[in-house]
Order: sequence, then C-alpha cells, then structure tokens
Amino acid sequence: MTTLLPPSPANVVDALRGDRAVRPLANTTSAAGLRAQLEDGIYTIMGKQNPSAPLVIRASSFRHVPPVTDASPSALGRIRGVLITQLLRLHCVGEDIDHAFDEAVDAWRGDVGTNDLVGRLEQMDDDERARLATDVTAHCVTMTRALGSLPSRWMPRSAVRASQRLAAGNVVLRDVVDLMIGTNVAGRSSVVLLDVTTSPLAENAERTMRYHALVETLRTSIAPLRTSAFSTATGELWASDVDHELLARSADEVLEVINELWKGQ
Amino acid sequence: MTTLTHRRNTSGQLNELIITSPPEPVSLTDDHRLSLASRFRAVTSTEHRRIDAWAVEQAGRPATSFRWSPATARRVLGNAALRRVAREPSTSITNAVREELDDQLLRAASGRTRAGSLASWLARSRHPVLAVVSAEAVNWTTQVLEVAQGLSAPYEVPASDAYYDVATARTTLRGRRELVVAHDGARIIVRVRSGAPGKSSGPGLRADLTIDALAHHDGVAPSRIIGLWPEAGVALSVDGTMADLRAGARDLVRTAVVQRRSRLATAA
Repeated sequence: MTTLLPPSPANVVDALRGDRAVRPLANTTSAAGLRAQLEDGIYTIMGKQNPSAPLVIRASSFRHVPPVTDASPSALGRIRGVLITQLLRLHCVGEDIDHAFDEAVDAWRGDVGTNDLVGRLEQMDDDERARLATDVTAHCVTMTRALGSLPSRWMPRSAVRASQRLAAGNVVLRDVVDLMIGTNVAGRSSVVLLDVTTSPLAENAERTMRYHALVETLRTSIAPLRTSAFSTATGELWASDVDHELLARSADEVLEVINELWKGQ
Repeated sequence: MTTLTHRRNTSGQLNELIITSPPEPVSLTDDHRLSLASRFRAVTSTEHRRIDAWAVEQAGRPATSFRWSPATARRVLGNAALRRVAREPSTSITNAVREELDDQLLRAASGRTRAGSLASWLARSRHPVLAVVSAEAVNWTTQVLEVAQGLSAPYEVPASDAYYDVATARTTLRGRRELVVAHDGARIIVRVRSGAPGKSSGPGLRADLTIDALAHHDGVAPSRIIGLWPEAGVALSVDGTMADLRAGARDLVRTAVVQRRSRLATAA
C-alpha cells in the first residue's frame, strides 16, 4: 500500500492562508467581551485615579514582563529590524530587491526623513556599515524566500497601524502589524497577521502574536483567522489560530503590563 | 445643538448610520452664500487662502511646513487607485496604485506639473521610496475598499474632493470625501481618516459637511457625513441639519480670522 503525505505548503503565506474551504465563520462576538474584560481589569488596577499621562502599551511592552526600564535592544539591532521592515514593505508591493541594504536605507529615509536612529546609521564607520549590510542582506534573503510572492488578490498590506483607547483614554493600546493578508468582508474569518522579527523566536513572540490578534479584534470587532510570527534569523514560523481563549489570554497579559506600569507611576 | 454621534467602525454600524440618516436634506440658498461671502470678505487677506477641515481642527494655527512623504501621498494616490478599481473591478489594488504612480511620473516627465506638486516629488524620489509610497497607497485603498464593500446602499467614488470658491473673498474651501452613498434620494458622505479622532474631529466633520453643501450646484446638503477612523475602529457622524451647517460655516470663518491674526502677528 502506498501512503501519500499531504503536500507541504510552498511558502509561509500559503501555510498561513491554509485551506479556504475549512475557514470558520467570522467571530464577531468576542470584541465586546474583551473590551469589557479590559475595562473592568483597568478599573480594578487604577480605581478612580488617573495616571499623569496615558499608559501606552505596544507590542514591545511584552518583551519583558514585568517591564524593565531599558528593554530596548541595541541600536544596531533596532536599525536592522527597521530595515527588514522596509524590505518587507517593498516585497509586499512586488518590488524586486537587488541591493537589500541600499534599498532599505533609501526607503527608510524617504519614509521617516531624519530621526535619532537614522542619525546613528549615518555615524557608522565603513566596517560597521558593511557588517550591517551583510546582516540585512542575509535576513532579507531568508524572508523573501520564505514568503514567496504575495498575490495581490490576497490584499497584502504592510505596517498596518492600530490604536485603541481604553479607560477614557487613560490607557492606549498601540500596534503595528508587519504584514496583513485577507479581508474581513467575506463573512468568513480570513485575515492573517504576521509579525516579522530579526530575533530568534522566544516566549515573548507568542505574547506579541496574541497582542496583534487582540488589537485587531478590538479595532475591527472581528477576530482574525490566524496570527503568526516569523524569524528572519532562524527561518522559523510560529502560527496560531485565533479563538476566544487566545484573545482573553492576551487581554490578561495586557492587564499584567498595565498593572506593572501603574505600580511604577 | 450638534448631532455628533459616536459608533464602532463596523459595517453593521455604518449601514445603520446610513439607513437612519435624516430623510429630508436641507438646502443652502443664495442668501446663505451671500452672507458667508460677506463674512469672509470682512476678513481681509493679501493672499489667496485655502481652508479645509484640517485647518478648522487646528483652530487656524499656522501649519508646519508641508513636505511630501509616503504618508502624505497615500490619500491622493490611494483614492485615485480606488477610482480605477471602481471603474475596472478586475484590476487589483496593487496594479491600480502602480498605474496611478506611472501616470504621475508621466505627467512630471511631460513637464505638465508645477514645482512642489506630488508628481514632481515622485519624479525626484528614488525607486525604493516609490515602493514605500505604493505600499502606503495600497493600505489606504484597501481600507477604503473594505468600507465600500461592506455598504448595503449604492455608492460612488467621487472624482475629486469638494471645492468652493467664495465669491470675491480670495478664499477656497476644500471638503474632503472618500465615498458618496445614495440613500432614499439623499446623499451621505463618507470620510476616512488616519489615526484616532480628537476633540476637534466633530467641528472638522461639520466643516466638510458645510463645504460639500456649498459645492453642490443647488446647495443641497448631504443628509449625513460619516467620518471613519479605521486605525482606531471609530465612526463619528454629523447630520446635515441647518444648525450643523451654520456651526460649520462659523468655524470656517473663525479659522480665517485666526489665520489672519497669526499672519499679522508674524508680520509685526
């Protein structure tokens, strides 16, 4: 007897989109409950007091729980991350990437103009710059090979921003999803979120994945189909179907971060 | 009294806002136009002024110097791409944006653009910057198209924003709009905005509402204007009542006054 294994998906995006025929109906009921869970939790933490400035939660807030004062990675690591994000944007609109580093730097400068990180890049000596260029090229090759081409019928969009105010604006959830594919119009759950990181995947990547799904659910009132993280350092992909349990867990994690930030006030 | 309402930005809520819009739109008469023109004329200006909802939201404060960037170019290119997709539904969003970008570059190459225009900035930009501009425009078009596809009423993508030149007052008013929805013989304007709404978003919507009514050949006001902030998941709406139109006109004139004062202060 010959047994045939199911064909493995050709690339990351195929794997994430999965079989169209077995997609569940869009979950339009979780958002209100999650919002209530967050509002009740924030009231339990803060009571009737207001912070001096709104507490801002970002995906980076989950790198270290409890949050530490200096949780930012090195400037070099941050620049690499930003450049890979720019290259993802180029890849997303079908742009051929021939000189990864130069094109990423041009795109970045065109996007943000000048800031501290751009200034840091300009201060690099030739050796440092060459090392970074090699690094970025290697990460870019891993990313573009794994993602494959992104057909425009899947409506890929990059750097999708979201912002949610809670507790009368005293808490703000901010998020940027690196890559989003699919739409919410079809009545079926078809939106897939992908976080691209230049670090190896660790526990915080799971929290980030859940946070993306939570903010997207609060933003659109429809839960996405799947949330995922891809490491350009290792080529590893983590993906998870989004259900109410995952979203509720993320809401708990958000409350945990708010509690730590509130205690630090 | 203002008719500002706040909802979640879902297709269900949006359709409800359309269905429940006031059935009988109000109209601006020639007297209204003359009265507005005389108020603008009273605010003298040595140069031509342009006022839009953004200026109203900023309370007439002088704007920081404008520069083209992928973020500032996305609406112009994104809406043009949306019109292409509406004309030819088989065109993908990415291709529509690419064609629009090519058109802009062609315009610049033929020398039919002025310095400082989007086309001339694009022509001077490097290839990777153009790709980021495309990516931003794709995001914009996708989010407006998602809104449009969720509508249960017929809609059209307007050919341009609404413009109204105030007679002999050296003033142009610009009302932004993404979609015009038809419901029960009336029109409803849908505006899509970036970021999250602030305290001045209501006056901003009222300004757009008033300008759209002024730009209409018969002065008929939209029965409702709906502002969508997809990033924040929020929808605000203002009805086309006479009270809201008056408030919108007052805010526009007040903005012209503040702009004049700040110009005089700068000159002094």
